[in-house]
Amino acid sequence: MWQAIQARETGRTPCNSFANQLKSRRISSLQLCNRKDFVSPHRGAVNSLQVDLTEGRYLLSGASDGSAAVFDTQRATDSEASGLIEKHKCVFSVDKGHEHGHRFAVSSAVWYPIDTGLFVTGSFDHLIKVWDTNTAQAVVDFKMPGKVYRTAMSSLAMSHTLIAAGTEDVQVRLCDIASGAFSHTLSGHRDGVMSVEWSTSSEWVLYTGGCDGAIRFWDIRRAGCFRVLDQSVTQLGVRPPILKHSAVSTKVSAEKSSSGAKNRLKTLHTRPSVEKARQKRLHPGMLSTLDRATAHYGVVTGLKATNDGMYLLSAGKNKAVGYSIGCNTLLNFETGRLQTSKAIQMATSDDPALVFVPCMKTVKAFGMWSGRTTLMFRGHYESVNTCCFNSTDQELYTSGADRQILVWSPGGSVEGEMDQDEEAAEDKDNWSD
Amino acid sequence: MKNNCSNPETSAARGKKRRREEEEEVGCSQAANEDECFSLQDELTFSDTSVALRIIRAQFPRIDQAASVPPFILQSQLYSSVSDRTQVDRELERLRRDKVVRVFKLNTGQNDHAVVFLDDYLNQVDRIAQRMEDKKHNDTEIFKWFKEHVLDSKLEPSIGHHELCTLLSLGGKVKDAHITLLINAGLLTRQLIDPDMYWFTIPSIGKLWKALLQGRKELLSLLKRKRHKEMFLSELEKKRLRYSPLDMRFHIRDLIGSAHLKIFQTTSGLVVRVSND
Repeated sequence: MWQAIQARETGRTPCNSFANQLKSRRISSLQLCNRKDFVSPHRGAVNSLQVDLTEGRYLLSGASDGSAAVFDTQRATDSEASGLIEKHKCVFSVDKGHEHGHRFAVSSAVWYPIDTGLFVTGSFDHLIKVWDTNTAQAVVDFKMPGKVYRTAMSSLAMSHTLIAAGTEDVQVRLCDIASGAFSHTLSGHRDGVMSVEWSTSSEWVLYTGGCDGAIRFWDIRRAGCFRVLDQSVTQLGVRPPILKHSAVSTKVSAEKSSSGAKNRLKTLHTRPSVEKARQKRLHPGMLSTLDRATAHYGVVTGLKATNDGMYLLSAGKNKAVGYSIGCNTLLNFETGRLQTSKAIQMATSDDPALVFVPCMKTVKAFGMWSGRTTLMFRGHYESVNTCCFNSTDQELYTSGADRQILVWSPGGSVEGEMDQDEEAAEDKDNWSD
Repeated sequence: MKNNCSNPETSAARGKKRRREEEEEVGCSQAANEDECFSLQDELTFSDTSVALRIIRAQFPRIDQAASVPPFILQSQLYSSVSDRTQVDRELERLRRDKVVRVFKLNTGQNDHAVVFLDDYLNQVDRIAQRMEDKKHNDTEIFKWFKEHVLDSKLEPSIGHHELCTLLSLGGKVKDAHITLLINAGLLTRQLIDPDMYWFTIPSIGKLWKALLQGRKELLSLLKRKRHKEMFLSELEKKRLRYSPLDMRFHIRDLIGSAHLKIFQTTSGLVVRVSND
């Protein structure tokens, strides 16, 4: 450790790589934290965790008993065992007893990306509520046609403050906080939408994963989705293939599929007869509804975009797979069995490029490019629904059906690391029986 | 004299030993009789997907009633044989694009994919075409068109109705009766979720499909009944399954690959345990 600091002083290691080396060493030694504990006020399974994006300090959790709570991760409320264990009680919580609280389970709770003054919760009582953090009051309500499975707000947004909501209805709705109305309705999925995620490279692009197994990319500035991920369109290797002839072939296949589908529409209306003569012309934005490619054979339960915006990880019935823009990268993460009926939340970390996926009762960390299990976190008593990685402190927060929020932090203290190096340099001949 | 007596003995002993080693190297290309010669313990993992495919295919049990089914390998068996799953996926993709193997989706409810070597599959299609001709069906040239145009260009496990008709009509005029014939022969089947799409299927796989499901259940229940839910691999291999003609090795590889079973190395050999995740 001291040698690494000296190398940084003398300029042998640039500052960024020193910080990155330190972070990766800490991340690879993640284990159940014995110094920090969140006292969870929830009396139902926790469905959603998010650390705020501005400071990385406040943790927002939403649970199945209709409650949402905020914790301060850096300052403890009190401590036990003579200061060794810090207890973090919730800063405040809104539950069913609150006059504006949700009546059924809260499936998703996200912070307003610009500051921590607002947060948004979506619940199975068909409502999305926007709360003011300082007064703990619900400011705006949006009524949805079905149970809300997930809400998301874009962290890059400069010109819009839209909440994307995935519900059990087939249409994805975008709600605008500024006007209090729905600004967009995105059609294309054939079953409920379980996972919604904004792109990390563009503020206009939205990824949605549905219960029909399809993953669609939407650009909200125009109609219809511009891509549907197909698990049979694959690429060998990490980089997508160079698109010389494939651009032509995708156009041709798009025409074929669209004309074939128009024929099918015609047969629905008249006697079954094989080709030609379009009866119904579709709006070009609706052509994508005819594309029935699926990314998974079952429900898409989780989506996560990597921070560089180039890849999308998706979790389905028994697999978690990585997709590059448009192609299946064939990265197979050895997840074993994943829960299929509930949405799960995955987390990624940048420097050692790890993906954290909750698999039944454990959380497994996979190397993003190798697909192998690097770490396995066992500690929960029941199935884990959600995990969230705090990159400022290199801590992982996980929670699930056992209502506890567990903290996984780098093992050992900084002093311990320094001592280890010193011991190694000791004189080995200096021993006695 | 002494030398003369001892030589034939030692040479006989040496000969037997060498033959045994040869059998182990070749990997039991003579199926059923030599099953006892080597155990799964020695041949559980391989370094390469194509080696794994070939050896597992050679170990496919020879069942008389199902003599018309080409040997298939499940994708979960490949996952248990090669340690890196991403490598398996990518090599399988490369083999699929080079048209060495074909991948089919089995409708067991879980994500099961079966890999069949293309030569075996084409032989099977020819045999079916022959059988249909013998039964004096008309329109048997559909099988030739199917083989030449559809199988060659469509490498995915499913195909849409319109695309199927387009590709088949490269051979001649296509009628609905042709597609019915293909479905009856067992080469195509409709998808349940989408009336317009077909899956490619391995013909006459019904009996083995049932055997697969029942064998899995039986093997898992056998292990779950034990006190510690585990058993030595060598003991497990010697048992016979009542409900499945597919042999024990097939099911063990499949269940390890789909994470229902775990394998440990202990001081007295490999142990199989039901995984509790």
